[in-house]
Amino acid sequence: MPSRRRPSGDSQAWTEKTLPTHLGAIRPVVAELMVRLRDLGYDEDHRFAVRLATEEALVNAMKHGNRMDPSRQVRVRYGATPECVEIHVADDGAGFNPASVPDPTADENLRKPCGRGIMLMRSYMDEVSYSGSGQEVHMLKYRNP
Amino acid sequence: MAETSDIIQVVDRDGVALVRIRSNAILSEAEVEAFGAAIERLAEMPGQRVVVSFLGVHHLTSLVLGALIRVKKLLAESGGDLRLADIEPHVYEMFTITRLDRMFRIFERGDEAVASFLPPTET
Repeated sequence: MPSRRRPSGDSQAWTEKTLPTHLGAIRPVVAELMVRLRDLGYDEDHRFAVRLATEEALVNAMKHGNRMDPSRQVRVRYGATPECVEIHVADDGAGFNPASVPDPTADENLRKPCGRGIMLMRSYMDEVSYSGSGQEVHMLKYRNP
Repeated sequence: MAETSDIIQVVDRDGVALVRIRSNAILSEAEVEAFGAAIERLAEMPGQRVVVSFLGVHHLTSLVLGALIRVKKLLAESGGDLRLADIEPHVYEMFTITRLDRMFRIFERGDEAVASFLPPTET
């Protein structure tokens, strides 16, 4: 099977932005990414998934990573090819252990108002991993998994 | 009872507050806070029954799910309840993935959700 072309090897395919820690900064970035995916022919299901996961990652970086500290920033880097889309989000926080996040679908956590972002990211993307001490999340979505 | 803000419109239907969302997406912190605050005001009336209709809402984030959970708790504390309706398939999937479809009673249409609060009519 031929390997699927990932944006990793194509510097032209990447967009990088540094955002202030302000939730209002999320929408324009995600809108740009959606235009890129639409131009590449991604369908509505894929765009919904990538949009949701990207927003959740950025919200997590600002709220939980940077704790809404306006002196901290969030860096987002995304790339897309006709085969897949990759998104990296990094914050200036202290990091966290993703394995320590409680399962929000467990009966004892179902009524807690927080903790669903990571689960949604994992559900909608094909790959989700963390580097550093949890300050950077990498997500990948294939067009044809 | 009738309330209109940038985020929601509330109309009274036989004593049930039917909340319609005026945006096709609730994303920013300000929008989520305004949405939560607006429907939390409804919980100030003891026993208030509330239906939130997501008609025309194509997108939301987990912040909104959290706001709904908070409001449902508040309403339950005073003997009221929150039910949901008109959720399009993509958004509904978020409820099933997070198992919140088991926590909330979700109806296909707003009028069905309102009727679920009312005593059955004789035929």
